[in-house]
Amino acid sequence: MQRSKLWARLKSWEALLFIILCVVIFVNLRLSSHYLDLNNLANIFHLSIEKSLMVLIMAFVIINGEIDLSVASIMALGATVLAERYEAGWSIAAGLALALLVGLGCGLLNGLFVAYMGIPSLIVTLAGQIGYRGAARIILEDRSVGDFPKWFTSLGQDGFIGPFPITSFLFLALFILGLVVLQYSVFGRYVYAIGNNRAAAEYAGINAKQVKVTLFMLSGLIAALAGACYAARLGNVRANAAEGFELDVITIVLLGGVSIFGGTGTMLGVGLSLLVVLNLRNGMSLSNVDGNTQTSVVGSLLILSVLIPNWMQRLQRLLSHLFAKNPKLFNRGGAAEPKSPVSVHQ
Amino acid sequence: MKMRKLQLLLVVVVLLTLSAGLVRAQDDPEPIKAEPGADLDMVLLPKTLGNAVFDEAHEGAMEADEELENEGDLIFNAPTPDNAIPGQIEIIEASITQEVDAIMISANDYEQLLPSTQKAMDDDITVVTWDSPVAPEGEDLFIAQVDFTEVGSVMANMALDILGEEGGQFAILSATPDASNQNAWIEAMKALLEEDDTYANLELVDVVYGNDDPDDSYNEALGLVDSYPDLELIMAPTTVGIAAAAKAMQDEELCGEIAVSGLGLPSEMQEFVENGCSQEFALWSFKDLGYLTYYVSYLLATDAMDAEEGVTFEAGRMGTYTIEADPNREGGLRVLMGPFSLYNADNLEEWAAGGDEGATVEATEEAN
Repeated sequence: MQRSKLWARLKSWEALLFIILCVVIFVNLRLSSHYLDLNNLANIFHLSIEKSLMVLIMAFVIINGEIDLSVASIMALGATVLAERYEAGWSIAAGLALALLVGLGCGLLNGLFVAYMGIPSLIVTLAGQIGYRGAARIILEDRSVGDFPKWFTSLGQDGFIGPFPITSFLFLALFILGLVVLQYSVFGRYVYAIGNNRAAAEYAGINAKQVKVTLFMLSGLIAALAGACYAARLGNVRANAAEGFELDVITIVLLGGVSIFGGTGTMLGVGLSLLVVLNLRNGMSLSNVDGNTQTSVVGSLLILSVLIPNWMQRLQRLLSHLFAKNPKLFNRGGAAEPKSPVSVHQ
Repeated sequence: MKMRKLQLLLVVVVLLTLSAGLVRAQDDPEPIKAEPGADLDMVLLPKTLGNAVFDEAHEGAMEADEELENEGDLIFNAPTPDNAIPGQIEIIEASITQEVDAIMISANDYEQLLPSTQKAMDDDITVVTWDSPVAPEGEDLFIAQVDFTEVGSVMANMALDILGEEGGQFAILSATPDASNQNAWIEAMKALLEEDDTYANLELVDVVYGNDDPDDSYNEALGLVDSYPDLELIMAPTTVGIAAAAKAMQDEELCGEIAVSGLGLPSEMQEFVENGCSQEFALWSFKDLGYLTYYVSYLLATDAMDAEEGVTFEAGRMGTYTIEADPNREGGLRVLMGPFSLYNADNLEEWAAGGDEGATVEATEEAN
């Protein structure tokens, strides 16, 4: 009973996102004749590939009841390590391997502090955000490092199938993997259970600490991978790369119906929310809407995503209140009893 | 027979004259002029939104847009400061998708925009940078506001102007110790003071750094006053520093004794010129920079002109310019705008009243 209710609730949040997505696409089509250009469709994903990758793992982290504010800094650190090592004569592959290891290490550090020392992840990863960014700045100072081999930059820039770079397919593969793991695997169920009620989950024998450390490590790993994508896409790395990305990433996850308190949300919702935000931004770019307005539109969308379900809930309550007082008011048109409560996001 | 020779002579003379005319034409070609009325979509992309100088550049571009009766759109867009580089890339990519004809960029990064600007050039879009360039392979050319060495001489001349022939002590209040622009300008000024006897009586006593922070700059200015009792002038080659120094002198009621000069924004300096805390300062006009940038981009995008060294063109009210090799960037081309605008009590009032062209005084002769 509880379960099916929950399911209905989530399902309809995704339905709402789907409707919003349709509206956004419709408006984009009306506003720009270039929206459907294959190159533009590739750009929608290509220009935000790093954020998209990090959204996937952030969904896990938040559903688990934690947050990771350090992803953008780990991303910059990963890109910086890769670039600095390449400059020092390493191969790209070796540099990438070290960058990924560094990402894993940062995530491990975050995870240990959160899971084993019981410090809130908000604080731990805020410290990480500052610390890892600082490390990146120490490595590269104010320099920019580039001149990567052509094969590497073309991975991030050139089309692999049509105009879609290979990083877009990497994202697609990871999305499907994330969907399967989160919704259909035992590990995914652990993630939800801990996010819902950690104590209960631990009573049920789930090793919550292990799950949390794993998630933070994966978060660091994906962030470092995103850093490599960034290096390939721009062909050049600076220590200030990706500053502020974490907030965009978290925005997309929350808009996707994931509760900031953990326990609820689906990969499908997050995917839809990603599509909504990317298409919305793209449409606004094509209509030459300036950056400030774009930011506030996305911000408003996030606020509405919290408010609308709230309003609907209140409206529902008001209606049922009136109905209880005066049943005839609603019976005139032969309407049946009010349906089950309108779905609610939070 | 004689007639024949005469005729031959005549022909030879005519041919010689003609060829001489041709040769002269090649030596001193007519500057290329823009043909108004094209239909070009052009994007003006400054570093960030919400910066007064970029709005001025936009004004200049709009002026040129009107003058050239361009039937296409002039799009002004920029990223927010927290999204500077990715935001510029997004706008460039969107411009490519929209198939615009020219993009005019003040770049937030010398290298990271390259993949996008090169893609734009591959798609036959004119890419002109202004204010801040990208690497030469990612642009057609760069509109440089001023030459670095010229900043040094303009500052030295303002100091001479204020301190007079008899000279005196002055100090420099700069931005951060590692600000490359400011350091180059200060070096240029120092070199000039040493080499040129005209400036023999100007004594530079100290260089301090206010980190382009109003509070730090304010305190550094007061520190200079305490350290050097004979100080007569503070020269600040940064818009933040000059305004803070003038404010400090105003608050300490030192305005008659210690002058403040340097590079400043007219809108920020107006009150200090009016109350005598700053006699004179300089800046290049961002409005002119926007105007010139638009003109060059229009000429390139209409194929009236190629981006090649030595090409001379006319840019409306600003006169004739020549494309030259950029001495600061190997393989790069630039159009050097110059000159500086000097601002003082005489023209600042005019500037504040109208805010349009003509109010800013072209002051190279004065400065040199």
